[in-house]
Amino acid sequence: MKQDRLMTEGKMRAFILAAVLAILVMPTAAPAASAQFEVGQPFPQIVLPSLEDGRPTSLSQFRGKKIILHIFASW
Amino acid sequence: MHVPGWHEATKKLQEEGKVQMIGIVQEQHPDRARLFMQWKGMGWPILVDSFNLLNVAAVPITLAIDEHGIIRRSRLSVKAAATIGEEFVNQTFEESRNTPAPAAAKPELAPLKPLNRETGTRSREENATTVALWGEVNRIGEAIEEYQEALRTEPENGPLHFRLGVAYRMRYDSKYRKENDFSKAVEHWSKALEIDPNQYIWRRRIQQYGPRLDKPYPFYDWVSTARDEIRKRGETPVLLQVEPTGAEVAQPAKTFEILPVTKPEPDPQGRVLRDKERLIMIETTAVPPSIAPGASARLHVIFRPNPATKAHWNNEAEGLVFWLQPQNDLNVERGYISLQNPAQEVSQETREVEFEVRCPPDTKPGILKLVGYALYYGCEDVNGTCLYRRQDVAINVTVR
Repeated sequence: MKQDRLMTEGKMRAFILAAVLAILVMPTAAPAASAQFEVGQPFPQIVLPSLEDGRPTSLSQFRGKKIILHIFASW
Repeated sequence: MHVPGWHEATKKLQEEGKVQMIGIVQEQHPDRARLFMQWKGMGWPILVDSFNLLNVAAVPITLAIDEHGIIRRSRLSVKAAATIGEEFVNQTFEESRNTPAPAAAKPELAPLKPLNRETGTRSREENATTVALWGEVNRIGEAIEEYQEALRTEPENGPLHFRLGVAYRMRYDSKYRKENDFSKAVEHWSKALEIDPNQYIWRRRIQQYGPRLDKPYPFYDWVSTARDEIRKRGETPVLLQVEPTGAEVAQPAKTFEILPVTKPEPDPQGRVLRDKERLIMIETTAVPPSIAPGASARLHVIFRPNPATKAHWNNEAEGLVFWLQPQNDLNVERGYISLQNPAQEVSQETREVEFEVRCPPDTKPGILKLVGYALYYGCEDVNGTCLYRRQDVAINVTVR
């Protein structure tokens, strides 16, 4: 019984260490283009000025509606 | 065209309130997107991402996002618009474990100090972006300083170089511009592109001011057509803060064209008095800042009435003339350029002469010098004297 508990604690420590290491090596830069905008993931919670009046706007203000989003330039 | 194609194909769905179109524009001058929307009759919301905070590498990107904020379709081509009703709009999606919608609050601007004692690049960059996005344009200098500080500890950070370039160009386009802002913008965009040549948002920033041999498309040649068609409809085209320059409307070219100089040198004896009164300030920017042998660059010679001497242009006399001394090391597109007089009698706007150069394929790396001069009428103060003056110009072209 004593042995079982030790193994569990050891496994717990190993898990925590692995998790901490995973967080440390996670890239802080934005994902590469191919990994961006994956189906099933939420659209990033970015707040940008509205073109009309400069007011802070994010897509989350349109919850409840189906959105077709165009990231584009007029050229 | 991608976006108007989507708009036309989904008009009915939009009118029925079944789908919401939203745009995020990636341009340096987002007010041009406003003109584009007006032209194509598209009235849906647009967000501005001139600093490319989304870190997209190319446009256009069209996504279908469901009522819970989850991306359901990506990489949509305009062909998908025809069936988007059945393929997406008419479906219901279950709510999943996604983050709740926060209120879009305006970020705090007052504390511009770094967010913690150990000032890593992240806090400097956040400061810069906060001021650049939400501050008045008179604060863009603070954003420039913060980006520069961030770059000192991370000199190979491509997005930082790009955003610093965007900030420099923003200040250049404002009344707070400082000397060499445009050149610095181009320098940082070029550095960003060296770090990541596959970043097409960054590449387009340089190409829109660059030589015709390197342009993928005209960029803003649609602006005059848009204005005509809008006026024909009886509407007033939205005003642009900054007019597209010659580079930004020029058609791409496959060969380097040299236009023969048909006019004689305007002041061969150097008799016209030099502009000692410093009425007009001249700066030059080469785009790109350095060229490979065989490649071309677009040179921007920018004339700005000196605010210190309250100088201005006057349209009653001869217009501005720019002359380049012929030289053998570089192919020069045009050696004699004259600008049309401004529309108003008195004006203080920045005016620009643009021309392209190409260095022959066997050119060795180094700096080639172009010399020439500008002749113009510059006027002092309000209702002051207008003086005909010459200013000699030397332009360095770096060959790498």
